[in-house]
Amino acid sequence: METHETNHSSQHGGAIHLPAPTAWPIVLAFGATLILAGVVTSGYVSILGAVLLISGCVGWFRQVLPHEAHEDVPVEAEEITIASTRTHVTRIEISDEHRAHLPVETYPILSGIKGGIAGGIAMIFPAMLYGLVTQHSIWYPVNLLGGAGVAHWTNPTTAEIASFHLSALIIATIIHILGSVLVGLLYGAMLPMFPRHPIVLGGIVAPLLWTGVMHSSLGVINPALDARISWPWFVVSQVAFGLVAGLVVVRQGKIKTGQSMPFVLRMGVEASGMYSDKEDRH
Amino acid sequence: MADSTYPIPGAVEAPSRRWSQAAVLEWLNSWVTTVDHKKLGILYIVYAIFFLLVGGAEAIAIRIQLIQPNMHFLSPQVFNRIFTMHGTTMVFLFGMTYIFGFANYLIPLMIGARDMAFPRLNALSFWLTFFGGILLYYSFIGGGGLYGAGNAPDVMWWAYAPLTERAFSPGHAPDYWALSLIVTGFGTIGASINVISTAFCMRCKGMTLMRLPLLVWVMTVASGLALITITPLTAAQVMLLIDRYLGGHFFDTQAGGSAMIWAHFFWIFGHPEVYVLVLPAFAIANEVIPVFSRKAMFGYPAVVASSVAIAFVSLGVWAHHMFTIGMTSVGNAFFVLSTELVGIPTAIKIFNWLATMWGGKIRFATPMLFCTAFVIQFLLAGLTGIILSIAPWNWQLHNSYFVIAHFHYILVGAIAFCIFGGIYYWYPKVTGRMLSEKLGKWHFWLFVIGFHITFDVMHIPGILGMPRSIYTYEADRGWGTLNMIVSIGGIIQAIAVLIFAWNLISSYFKGKIAGNDPWDAWTLEWSTPSPPPVYNFATDPVVTSRRPLWDLKHPDDPDWHYE
Ligand code: HEM
Ligand SMILES: [Cu+2]
Repeated sequence: METHETNHSSQHGGAIHLPAPTAWPIVLAFGATLILAGVVTSGYVSILGAVLLISGCVGWFRQVLPHEAHEDVPVEAEEITIASTRTHVTRIEISDEHRAHLPVETYPILSGIKGGIAGGIAMIFPAMLYGLVTQHSIWYPVNLLGGAGVAHWTNPTTAEIASFHLSALIIATIIHILGSVLVGLLYGAMLPMFPRHPIVLGGIVAPLLWTGVMHSSLGVINPALDARISWPWFVVSQVAFGLVAGLVVVRQGKIKTGQSMPFVLRMGVEASGMYSDKEDRH
Repeated sequence: MADSTYPIPGAVEAPSRRWSQAAVLEWLNSWVTTVDHKKLGILYIVYAIFFLLVGGAEAIAIRIQLIQPNMHFLSPQVFNRIFTMHGTTMVFLFGMTYIFGFANYLIPLMIGARDMAFPRLNALSFWLTFFGGILLYYSFIGGGGLYGAGNAPDVMWWAYAPLTERAFSPGHAPDYWALSLIVTGFGTIGASINVISTAFCMRCKGMTLMRLPLLVWVMTVASGLALITITPLTAAQVMLLIDRYLGGHFFDTQAGGSAMIWAHFFWIFGHPEVYVLVLPAFAIANEVIPVFSRKAMFGYPAVVASSVAIAFVSLGVWAHHMFTIGMTSVGNAFFVLSTELVGIPTAIKIFNWLATMWGGKIRFATPMLFCTAFVIQFLLAGLTGIILSIAPWNWQLHNSYFVIAHFHYILVGAIAFCIFGGIYYWYPKVTGRMLSEKLGKWHFWLFVIGFHITFDVMHIPGILGMPRSIYTYEADRGWGTLNMIVSIGGIIQAIAVLIFAWNLISSYFKGKIAGNDPWDAWTLEWSTPSPPPVYNFATDPVVTSRRPLWDLKHPDDPDWHYE
């Protein structure tokens, strides 16, 4: 430590100047209180208070004018040792296992969407195969899917459904693309929960879930489809979707998650000691 | 606790404490005329603890009266006086003074200064506070005398006008309330100015604003807030006195005055006052938690910024105490939202404390125990605060015991806990002796248990509809058992506080010699002998980081590498 001067105390030789003790503040305070206390007691108390207040002020002024009264306090040379029982610097220490139960690596959510698109394309083939085998028409599944948009179909015959309709194709295409992408997105969002087995998730778990959802809600969404759908084929195309989507995801490769980073870093807040490599911060 | 393995200078022999008459007079004189910030700080703290005991005794009287239905321990008039005095004492004589006790003692030491900016004003401020307190308690002697509790204020600590006008409050009860608080208010103004000037003008070399110890920062913010808000209170008190003595009609609704003016004036002081009281408690926690977690305080700039933000926002939320006066829905919505806003900086603070503890090597010495309990309790109090700040819920809960439970969670659960923690932490610096850890642990555990028995349970009668400030209640209300439990908890707390008082006294004579730096801490005050000499530092210190002592102890890896 070095020496330098502070505002109102200074050091000369072995002594330090400090403001001298004074009784005037207490007199002034007592006077002020008595002035107010007179309101609830008697006017004489206030008068006494005023006298004290004035003498307090006068005494105070004489203490500081023209020069502040000081006292000299001798400095006792004391040797101060600053030491610590701690041997090393304690800062936040983050071990690698910390929070290891959360995935350290996962697939990017985008890969779910890519998988969804690929799966959507893959699904077309079993669907068409189904049309060909059961109704000898590749348009049959298309019309079923797009049926919701074809308003004049109240009670279509099977032949009508098996023939080509442009509006049904357009609508079916839109539904299919949207559906595939959304399922892909959902899939991508769920991936971090099953990071090790994307194909199991995509090929089996997701199709089963999806089939259950469709089975219970299709009557409302698309009654025509619901009346004619073949659930075994539906499951087959779902599984085709899932497997392809899963394969595509696996080939995208994993990325690191933020889990291994401390909370602070993920928040983008800096704090001392958060970096293992101190050197690159200097 | 740190077992000091290094030699402790200045801790050789405690001065002999034998008294002759002349010595006693000289000793008294030295306290009455002192302008030394450390002595004044000690005076403030002793004053605060004294009134904590007085206010505590009043609380116990209240709780005995309410311990079962139809009690006749206190008469209704005395009950009103006692609980008004309890609230007034705790807020103005205990709460407002502990702040300046800690600030006075610590700030110059922490910033490497010899004294406060205005040492004589400092003395004046203390003595104004002192005589204001005496005037307030003098009220017990006038009028109906001690047993009938004299003229002691009986108008609640907020003294709502026009109930405090002559027509409804003859006698002098509201006068004592207003006059004595005007006096202590002037003391507060002087002390606040001193704290702010000291923090800005007296820092030693190298102590930039961004290296100011957090306690200094937060105390300064609290002092600024006190300075801003004590003024409207004083103004309202003067207006009340004008009404009562000079025939004014500010609050006289019969003559064109308004009752709302008082409510606004009072709460524009009263709400920020809560933060004036609680910010210094944060300040203490900010020093204690890092040292006992052995980690630097997490997010220093965020702590500073959130303290300033809290102070600002708290100035704009006062009307959440007035939801039941029937504001417009725009008014209600504004004050609901602005109140919720305080949650953001407050949550930041909680995260800062948790992040400081997280991963640290925590030592649960008594100061740390109190501060840890504080963090949890403060969080809980914040949650009931959110409930109260939703206007429709407030309409249900206003003036019920739920409110009492909520604010005691803050006043006791946060403020009192931090003060206790702070006293255990700095007592060795002030006296040169450690407080007994054993008694400290007893104090802590009894107090936490008593606290939770009292104030957790107190929410329930509130929800069941028990109004606050009632003198007694009928047996068929279903509040009896609950009140019994609450009162028992209060008595447990009182026992804990007595243990604490005993610890303060006995350790002064027999405590373990502390040495300069018993906690292995980081701020400058620990680099002086315990107790520090009048001039604080023989040579003025120079600092290079937020933890100057750390740098001295660890020259190999000083902090300024990381700032
Ligand atoms: C041992 C701890 C304490 C107990 C048992 C206690 C108990 C009580 C009780 C029973 C009331 C009356 C409520 C009513 O009927 O309206 C009350 C009011 C109050 N207390 Fe405490 N108290 C304690 C500590 C404190 C502390 C430490 C503070 C402040 C720092 C405080 C501040 C207040 C305030 C402001 C009121 C409001 C008075 C009013 O309603 O006008 N109390 N307390
Ligand atoms: Cu408030």
